[in-house]
Amino acid sequence: MAEPVVGRPHNRVDGPLKVSGRAAYGADHSYPRLVHGYAVTSTIAHGVIRAMDTSTAERSPGVIAVYTPFNAFTIHPVEGLRAPLQDTAVAHHGQIVALVVAESFEQARAAAFTVEVDYDERRPAVSLAEEEGNARPIPPVMGIPPVVTRLADGVPSITAALADSHITVSAAYTTAPQAHAAMEPYSAVVTWDDGRFTVHNGTQGVGLQVQTLAQALGVTTDDIHAVNPFVGGSFGGKYRPNAEVQLAAAAARALRRPVKVVLTREQSFTGTVIRSGTRQRVSLGAAADGTLTALSHRALAGAVADRESAELSAQRTSLAWYAVPNLEVRQTSVPLNTPDPTIMRAPGEASGSFALESAMDELAVALRMDPVRLRIKNNATVHPYSGLPFSGKHLVECYRLGAERFGWRRRGTRPRSRLDGEWYTGMGMATSVYPGFRNPATVKVGLRADGTALVSCDTADLGTGMWTVLPVVAAHSLGLPVRRVEPRLGDSELSPAGSVGGSCGVVTVGPAIMAAAHNAVAALLSLAVGEPSSPFHGLDPADLRYDSGRVSGPGRSMDFDDLLEAMGRSGVEALGTAAPGDESERYVFDSFGAQFVEVRVNRWTGEIRVSRALGVMDAGRIVNPKTARSQIVGGMIWGISAALHEGLHLDASGHLVNADLANYLIPVNADVPEVDVHFLDHPDTRFNPLGSRGIGELGIVGTAAAVANAVHNATGIRLRELPMTLEHVLAGLD
Amino acid sequence: MSPEPERPPRPARVSRRGFIGRTTAASLGAGALPRPDQATAAAAAAAAAGAPGQPLPGPPGTEVTLRVNGAEHRVGVDNRATLLDTLRERLRITGPKKGCDRGQCGACTVHIDGRTALSCLTLAVAAHEREVTTVEGLADGDVPHPVQRAFIKADAFQCGFCTPGQIMSAVALVEHGPVGSDDAIREFMSGNLCRCAAYPHIVRAVRQAGSTGRKR
Ligand code: FES
Ligand code: FES
Repeated sequence: MAEPVVGRPHNRVDGPLKVSGRAAYGADHSYPRLVHGYAVTSTIAHGVIRAMDTSTAERSPGVIAVYTPFNAFTIHPVEGLRAPLQDTAVAHHGQIVALVVAESFEQARAAAFTVEVDYDERRPAVSLAEEEGNARPIPPVMGIPPVVTRLADGVPSITAALADSHITVSAAYTTAPQAHAAMEPYSAVVTWDDGRFTVHNGTQGVGLQVQTLAQALGVTTDDIHAVNPFVGGSFGGKYRPNAEVQLAAAAARALRRPVKVVLTREQSFTGTVIRSGTRQRVSLGAAADGTLTALSHRALAGAVADRESAELSAQRTSLAWYAVPNLEVRQTSVPLNTPDPTIMRAPGEASGSFALESAMDELAVALRMDPVRLRIKNNATVHPYSGLPFSGKHLVECYRLGAERFGWRRRGTRPRSRLDGEWYTGMGMATSVYPGFRNPATVKVGLRADGTALVSCDTADLGTGMWTVLPVVAAHSLGLPVRRVEPRLGDSELSPAGSVGGSCGVVTVGPAIMAAAHNAVAALLSLAVGEPSSPFHGLDPADLRYDSGRVSGPGRSMDFDDLLEAMGRSGVEALGTAAPGDESERYVFDSFGAQFVEVRVNRWTGEIRVSRALGVMDAGRIVNPKTARSQIVGGMIWGISAALHEGLHLDASGHLVNADLANYLIPVNADVPEVDVHFLDHPDTRFNPLGSRGIGELGIVGTAAAVANAVHNATGIRLRELPMTLEHVLAGLD
Repeated sequence: MSPEPERPPRPARVSRRGFIGRTTAASLGAGALPRPDQATAAAAAAAAAGAPGQPLPGPPGTEVTLRVNGAEHRVGVDNRATLLDTLRERLRITGPKKGCDRGQCGACTVHIDGRTALSCLTLAVAAHEREVTTVEGLADGDVPHPVQRAFIKADAFQCGFCTPGQIMSAVALVEHGPVGSDDAIREFMSGNLCRCAAYPHIVRAVRQAGSTGRKR
């Protein structure tokens, strides 16, 4: 074998395209006769459209069509998706209520502002706090009921278990609703030619996109070709085709012209999907030595009308994190008049870890115990809900190594004991856990007579590094240098590898690449013995060996390209499929990590700055440490952002008052400290043959709590609401 | 295609006064107003401008000369068209990205006459006969700009959508320098949002490109 390429740092193979402006994202596409659609959005949050006046828009220059709920094409409902313009109901502020199509963007925009809408307005439900009384248990998710109670023998209730504990802490935590706010706005370019759609629209999976659109448009999946090799960020927001692509496709068919719909930044905030805010209560009981005796976690999140919720804060954390004999988790939801709540980076874990890991810190303070020690003491060696062992868990190593690398022992044990000029400094930490799962995938690998290899499937690269994972794993499997392997992805005509989401990309696609490479080599060898023109003709395939691009048999050896040439072949290719087996009946495949954060809190202004952050991650074998590091760094900054910056604000009428990038705060460069990441190296081949686990979401989990815990360590102020804002710090400072 | 119904003869130079006069008229005529609460007034104004049932008159257009990455383009534009939309939709130069269209994100950053500019806040007519450089114009033939190389090496992006803007800002810093401390880099680069949060790696890339010299 050549030197292994998996595990070494590789530059992104799509880098040269991305730094030169040649990577074409959805809205970068254009076609002859293309027209532009501009959305009109609702100015109320709840009600019914009584009438619309589009007469001015219709005779505005360049306008080709104005679609409203009163005249629009049919879009069939798809479960879990809102079909735009199909009825007059308004469910949230900023919902798309019309689409104006014109020859130019400027004309469409100008005409869109002349559309007048009359509403019957109803009282919107906008505040989780006010709607708490209407909360109901969510429908079961993946077989897990909304209320799970596990009690030790003889314990009558979780309340009794808490009451009997040596020490208890109990507090309420809230997290703000958030927007995915990918830098690429929601946009789509769709053509319709002879009954066939071509779709360019950033997505987490062209396969699901084609299926969903086929249903919505009433056509077969063969009628849609999705081409989306570049996605400008998604984070869950582009998991399913939102309104803009449904509208662009339906309009393209109706008008028989290519249509481009780019939502404005404001519309991208209001007209699509969000992460729900949450209200949570965590109660912990412990023995004097810190051993947990009881854990109760209740969480409420916003939902769509059927009460399904994506932000399962309690279920996705407290059922899995700590060993505790008495456990109760209660997950409720309430429908709200907000943009549809959906999955967003670590849905459930991101918000749930803030509550659980803040509570653990409160317990450590109450016990006067080191927070790292408290967590090590309660480390779960089997999964608390399923009772299964973990496929590989080195969380304690993460804690220990992190504490050492971060200089944890320099942390003050009393608040306000560290003052640097006018800044209190403090350190906090938290646990990260993210569950692993994988999907089936089929990948094609080809060996070509020019000495290169091809690896392809319909997976997506959202910035995750998949463009590079494909050739790295293929090169590794074929014993070739990475530069000799050409990747292809993001096209629905390639072999199916499923959507990426839930950190399943590498673990889904990687094993299938290995299988396809194996099959491609087998195909090459069988050709080599079967082709009369082959120097190996007539040999037993078992006599041939493939190693690092060379085929060897008795007495001779040659490069695969020479062999292909000798046989007059341009190449050989094979599919390979890999799918999870029954291993999930035996193991749980979580990824783990420990987060360490140092903050500085200004004693006069209350300003919080994160000055250092470290994540130590146990995620199996890291395929490409360079891009993996970027993903974890990005996730950790998302956690810092949730802690200090991000939150959608709705006023009492349901209006999203900060739906733009100036007012919806995400960090800028100057907000972000040096972020250090360290990966443990424990390949997890119980999970998949590649030995990797997921990393896309792991970095965000726990980070916000680590910030809050550091603020407490610095100042003695416990902040239980995200984002943490100055006024709450100031209130505690004097 | 170019929407303007009446195309004035190519101006020797777009005069600021003449331009303002025309766009004001356009705003009144077609209601190119960004705020929905002004839509009613715009509609009324628009309705007054044309008899019922008749097509409304369009805004005047202007023929401008854009020099982009060394090539000259003569193009008739809607006076309301931004440089960003003109580059992207008319000239098919799609390196500059539209992240917000409001001057809030930096994804559309280009250089105009050697200085950074937000192309979403620059009307195309305002770029008449000026030198525009986009990310596509940085490389010297096949040789990428040092900042482009440094971005790849430092993995200073993930999805890459903000990257053309980040790079245009970084090039301005590196070429006009001095690049300064890491904090100075962070400050200078803070007009360019990156939701993937590649920030620490962007700082590294800028630092590295700054130290390897300004010249390509
Ligand atoms: S698109 Fe110009 S600053 Fe955002
Ligand atoms: S790389 Fe994705 S927004 Fe910057």
